[in-house]
Amino acid sequence: MELGTFGAILRFAMDLEQQAAGFYEGTTGGELEGIFRELARGSRKRLSRLERARREMVAEMILESITGLDGDAYGVNLDPEADEAGLLHQAQALEKTFARFYRDAADKMPIREVARLFQRLARENKQREAQLSR
Amino acid sequence: MEYGKLKNYIDGEWVESQSDEVLHVGNPATGEVIAQVPLSTVEEVNRAVSAAAEAFQEWRETPSLVRARYMLRLKVLMEEHFEDLACAIVKEHGKIIDEARGEVRRAIENVEVAASVPSLMMGYNAEDIAAGIDEECVLQPVGVFCCVAPFNFPAMVPFWFLPYAVACGNTFIVKPSEICPVSQDRLFEMLDEVDFPPGVVNLVHGAKGVVDALLTDPDVAGVSFVGSTPVGKYIYSTAAANGKRAQCQAGAKNCLVVMPDAVLDRTVAALLTSAFGTAGQRCLSGALVLAVGDVYEPLKAQLVEAASRLKIGDGLDEATQMGPVVSQKSLDRILGYVEKGVKEGAELILDGRGVQVEGYPSGHFIGPNIFDQVKPEMTIAREEIFGPVLGIIAVADFEEALAIIKGIPYGNAASLFTTSGKWAREFKYRLPCGNIGINIGVAAPIATFPFAGMKDSFFGDLHGQGRDAIQFFTDRKVVITRWF
Repeated sequence: MELGTFGAILRFAMDLEQQAAGFYEGTTGGELEGIFRELARGSRKRLSRLERARREMVAEMILESITGLDGDAYGVNLDPEADEAGLLHQAQALEKTFARFYRDAADKMPIREVARLFQRLARENKQREAQLSR
Repeated sequence: MEYGKLKNYIDGEWVESQSDEVLHVGNPATGEVIAQVPLSTVEEVNRAVSAAAEAFQEWRETPSLVRARYMLRLKVLMEEHFEDLACAIVKEHGKIIDEARGEVRRAIENVEVAASVPSLMMGYNAEDIAAGIDEECVLQPVGVFCCVAPFNFPAMVPFWFLPYAVACGNTFIVKPSEICPVSQDRLFEMLDEVDFPPGVVNLVHGAKGVVDALLTDPDVAGVSFVGSTPVGKYIYSTAAANGKRAQCQAGAKNCLVVMPDAVLDRTVAALLTSAFGTAGQRCLSGALVLAVGDVYEPLKAQLVEAASRLKIGDGLDEATQMGPVVSQKSLDRILGYVEKGVKEGAELILDGRGVQVEGYPSGHFIGPNIFDQVKPEMTIAREEIFGPVLGIIAVADFEEALAIIKGIPYGNAASLFTTSGKWAREFKYRLPCGNIGINIGVAAPIATFPFAGMKDSFFGDLHGQGRDAIQFFTDRKVVITRWF
């Protein structure tokens, strides 16, 4: 799925955050519940930031077409029925994939404020991944 | 019919028009009728003007800080309904959702700037202009203003005017586009919720009959217009003949000059947005590429390659990069220009005619069209097409490009793509165009700047938006004081 517009990229990013929030919220009980709840809260906040960016950072004069960004390259398979080790592994993969997406999307984004937001989100994903590895 | 039969908003009430004449509003992507718009009667216009005139005195006495708070409440509502409003624009106009969001954002920006009216409307003074005598200048509201809006930015354009007029203490009547009236109707739902005193803001649907009634009504102090040059001239001269102030932003034929030192891939992306964004239906669209020297061949190749990849479709689909044009009538007019270009000897190197979009058999779709071998004297190089048609003219040097631009009767916008500060400086200094882009394809001023325009692209002296708007919607009164 080619992401060829500002809106398509933002929509895709919002879907990713929605997916992450759903995944983290779906885990109840066990040792991971605390950290997953925190990550879910973070994902909801990131979703709001992306919504705000879509609404407030759109700039008519540079709404240029974007090429070379394919959403299919950032898919993550999530199985909420997995055991704790499996869930942890999936969470780490998710954060790593999201970081890669935001880095790639930042390079393509003609609106600099949004590119900066994506870079920040990518850095957060690295921190979240590190948090999961502790 | 999603939006039903639209009503007028007069004196703080939604009222059904008594007119028998009604137009259908179609979704350009699907062909489906989404609303009906009445062509209101002269009596209905008179009622709106009377209500606005009646409301004026009390509204002008309302402190500017209080008037600004109405703007702040309006901003909050527009943010809350942002996505609904953007979708309504797509459904009535056909532009892509990103462009519609950009339009709503600019409308909100104007409300934000107008909310600064307590500062913007401050006058100035000087002591001792003669010994013991002081002089001051105060800015005062004028009365009833109106605007006549175009179809291409149906939500935003009235907001180049209404927020400033009202924040300055005037009362206002919007005559929306009869082709795309839905988003303005939605905005008036928000204005109603803001709860302005009755008569301060009014909406009257209709066409030329409504415009003529507004232009000849002695209680209307001024008119703001955006649209074509012939209509702009008509409105400007009629308003002047009736003693009204007027600001009429009109047609365009914008040139995009590409120098041999331009950053080509970024330039091509900007040219595409300029020429084919909003399917070419904006007065800032690039219509002619003037390729200087050696850049001509590689630029042409890259442009055609990139334009042919643009995804055409329903603007509500986030993946769509270019939507349909607004109506069958527009489509027929654009196709006529493409045929004329071919007949006059230009070479159609990208043919957007006959584009089919799967699942949208009734949409008014046309793909990007690129003409090569265009000559400045050809019809397609002189007339505003208002569609996705781009002409390429190879020129020897910068001076030849400037001469071509100066020969065009319009002066709305022009852009230069270069890495040279010298050429950029020459371009912005010498060109008789109101909106200049340097490595920007769509030179759209933000709300704190005037939406400029020169030659046949603008009739008047004060433009929409920013400080110009404050000047347009106020009178200057000078008071000279001596105390015995």
